[in-house]
Amino acid sequence: MKRLITLRINGIEEELYVEPWWSLSQVLRDELSLIGTKEGCAGGHCGACTVLIDGKAVMSCLYLAMKARGKEITTIEGLRGKDGALHPLQEAFIDHFAVQCGYCIPGFILTAKALLDENPHPTEEDIRAGLNGNICRCTGYVKIVEAIMSAAANGRI
Amino acid sequence: MTQLSVVGKSVVRRDARAKVLGTEEYCIDLKVAGMLHAKVLGSPYPHARILRIDTSAAEKVPGIRCAVTEKDAPKKLTGTGVIRDMPLLASGVVRYVGEPVAAVAATTLEAAEEAVELIKVEYEELPAIFDVEASAGTNPPVIVHPDFSKYRKSIPAGRLCPDRPNVCTHIKIYKGDVDQGFKESDLIVENRFVAPSIQHCALEPHAAVVVPEPDGGLTLLTGKQGISRAKEDVAAMFGIEPHKIRVRQEYVGGAFGGKATIYELIPALLALKSGRPVKWVMTREEAFVLGGPRQGMVLLIKDGFKRDGSLVARKMEVFVDAGAYGEASPGVTQNSSSVAVCMYRIPHLKWDGYAVYTNTPKRRGMRGYGVNEVTFAIESNMDIAAEKLGMDPVELRRKNLLREGEAMLNGEIIHSNGVADCLDKICESIRLNEKSADEGPWRKGKGLALGNKYSSPGTHYGARIHVTENERVVIYHGADAIGQGVNTVMAQIAAEEFGVSPDSIDIVFSDTAVTPYFGHGSTSSRTTFNLGNAVRRACDAAKREILERASAHLEAPPEVMAISNMEIYVKSHPNRKIKVRDLFSSGHGGEIIGSADYKADCIPDDPRTGQLDPALAGEGKRFMAFYAYAAKAVEVAVNIESGEVKVLRCHGAIDLGKAINPKICEQQSEGGMAMGIGSALYEETLMQDGRILNPSFTDYRVPLATQMPSNENMKSLFIESAPHKDGPFGAKGFAEGVVTGMEPAIANAVYNAVGVRIKELPISPEKVLRALRQR
Repeated sequence: MKRLITLRINGIEEELYVEPWWSLSQVLRDELSLIGTKEGCAGGHCGACTVLIDGKAVMSCLYLAMKARGKEITTIEGLRGKDGALHPLQEAFIDHFAVQCGYCIPGFILTAKALLDENPHPTEEDIRAGLNGNICRCTGYVKIVEAIMSAAANGRI
Repeated sequence: MTQLSVVGKSVVRRDARAKVLGTEEYCIDLKVAGMLHAKVLGSPYPHARILRIDTSAAEKVPGIRCAVTEKDAPKKLTGTGVIRDMPLLASGVVRYVGEPVAAVAATTLEAAEEAVELIKVEYEELPAIFDVEASAGTNPPVIVHPDFSKYRKSIPAGRLCPDRPNVCTHIKIYKGDVDQGFKESDLIVENRFVAPSIQHCALEPHAAVVVPEPDGGLTLLTGKQGISRAKEDVAAMFGIEPHKIRVRQEYVGGAFGGKATIYELIPALLALKSGRPVKWVMTREEAFVLGGPRQGMVLLIKDGFKRDGSLVARKMEVFVDAGAYGEASPGVTQNSSSVAVCMYRIPHLKWDGYAVYTNTPKRRGMRGYGVNEVTFAIESNMDIAAEKLGMDPVELRRKNLLREGEAMLNGEIIHSNGVADCLDKICESIRLNEKSADEGPWRKGKGLALGNKYSSPGTHYGARIHVTENERVVIYHGADAIGQGVNTVMAQIAAEEFGVSPDSIDIVFSDTAVTPYFGHGSTSSRTTFNLGNAVRRACDAAKREILERASAHLEAPPEVMAISNMEIYVKSHPNRKIKVRDLFSSGHGGEIIGSADYKADCIPDDPRTGQLDPALAGEGKRFMAFYAYAAKAVEVAVNIESGEVKVLRCHGAIDLGKAINPKICEQQSEGGMAMGIGSALYEETLMQDGRILNPSFTDYRVPLATQMPSNENMKSLFIESAPHKDGPFGAKGFAEGVVTGMEPAIANAVYNAVGVRIKELPISPEKVLRALRQR
């Protein structure tokens, strides 16, 4: 039976009726139309559904919506600054041609944000290891890694 | 050539901003009022007779609106290829595990999932056949399509193979006399190679929303390759006037050939029956089964050489596993032969390619369309031969390369062949003969391979240009934006034509009701070449219209005027001028439109021999639209204790004619090489008794970031020395050629490192270890 819960998403409190087995990605996408969170496998293998929960990158397809109560959820839609400016990682992904089909990109950007928040000066190896939960089939990762390195080097995170 | 201002520049991708913001709507994100959700029931057997289907329990599930079986479907066979062999839903018999037998639509996905499981199907299991070589025989134990002779097909008689009942197409390319050639040879190198079925793994699963329209038509909101063809296929299946089928899409979350398959028929049937919009999103597992994976091939190759390294004869027998239905496999079997035809000078060639039915999931084409597998066999064999001949593998290749102006093995005269430059540049870049030191159990080695990827001529590809009263240029096109950057590149081309900034270009794309016909869609590396040409011609047509209109204002005939930066002037009196916007301001209004299409001027081959008409070939008529040549070189490290192979350095040279947007070209190249690393080392659709054992990203291993070389060791080299005379600004398509050659380059490097030759992909640790033990 559906239950009424409150989720804090991108700084906004959302009241929702959810089934106890609904995943967070399902709630974000279907109930709130936050379509920037993608689904690629629904099994926690591809990383397209990555969101931040209390700053940590989490695959939202495996995370129950109920469990996210009381936590701070950030989706790609919440990454822009209050003034509407793009996040430095978003800028870097554009400038470094890290985007092709783009389907995996929100997941990569959020994974990268969690990674840089924890380690602001990563090596290329650190970045690659941090990205291993995210699949991109278009880019070969070269320009994604380059974009993240550049954002880190600019220290704008 | 005049100085180019926008073409050749790395203009920022126009789709990137929406994609990094997460605001881009892909098909999977769409919701339509009243929309139902579809689920499909697949066969549990690889081959079985259907005795009875009972949907009554499913139809009682709350929320279900519609259940369909073959009884509800038109009594027609379909097939997005040359053979109409496939029912919309299995009819009387199932031929592969997962073949759609029934489908439901419900108000929620959960209800649809519950309902589909309640459909009862009684089967009588039949013997099945899985092995492609056994199936290709003259007396196979199982015949997959006993009614094959009755199917509608557009295959010339010379390509049918009645003595092999499971072979749906037999492609022959015969030149000279191979037996004589082998007699004249000093060295014969004969090997068997296997390239398995692999998966596209586009991150957005196949998805479609089909909306029934009041006029009896359908609107398909989809995310595929080839909207024009989908329109034709859906119209033909349901007997609806084609103009009442509207196919629309926006950006597609990757495709790689897999989304050229027609998967919209099932939701269309549900939409027609329920009268409601129906959305179907394949699960990842369904995408592995129904998404049309790469065929899988067994390749037998026999090469004859003179002592000096000249190739004298080549015989290839290629068995292409089509799975249960033909789809693209006849085309793959034909087109994959191009590598054997257009690369090396060989007096005698005998190519027999067989597209073979088996009781496994139907295949589509995958990036490379068979060329990568054939290249794996040929370029591995060239290295094996070089060693036996005591020759440098680079010299052996260089000696036999066909050059500009020579005839290919099918008689086509070579134009725009940059392979020699690719080879030179790649050798310089990788330093093939400098070997790196061992590190612990890791042995290092280098290898290279050549390759090429044709582009098939296909059909007509259109573009329309609208110049607005505000002097903006709007491109209308029907290509698929599958991540390749088509809109950015087309904006550059139109901007170049009008002498304006790409920022003044707008694009309306992928909507059959609005955008021009785009034949076979964004497949076969054709978009830049075909659409680029169509856009240029449409720009010319729009400019002619502008000059006609300006003629009245400037009192001069159009021939003496020119247009630059949205201003028309009389060439001899540049001060007599008018702005484009002012053409609209004096009651003339109307619209400035230029339309054009492009179709490569190609000729068919003789189905009995694969040869072109010599007279037409002599006039320069071509079989394929163009060929992009490639060279790949890698350095690998092989762990002699674990068998693991790592690619340390990966360099790719690609003969692309002209890099219209170099950074976007790099994207293609890097992604293509990554895909090649995946298929060389990790990827294989594992099947047991026709069932896919690894339909998930945990069990099917797509390369991850840590499995790639570091950024400084991934290098793309663009060869622009062989521009194509018919290409826009000399450009050729190359988005498949960037993969081609990766598999043999890696296999050759592994041999160079540890002296073991792996002839069956992927080059897994188990295979390497076994070979090391047997050495």
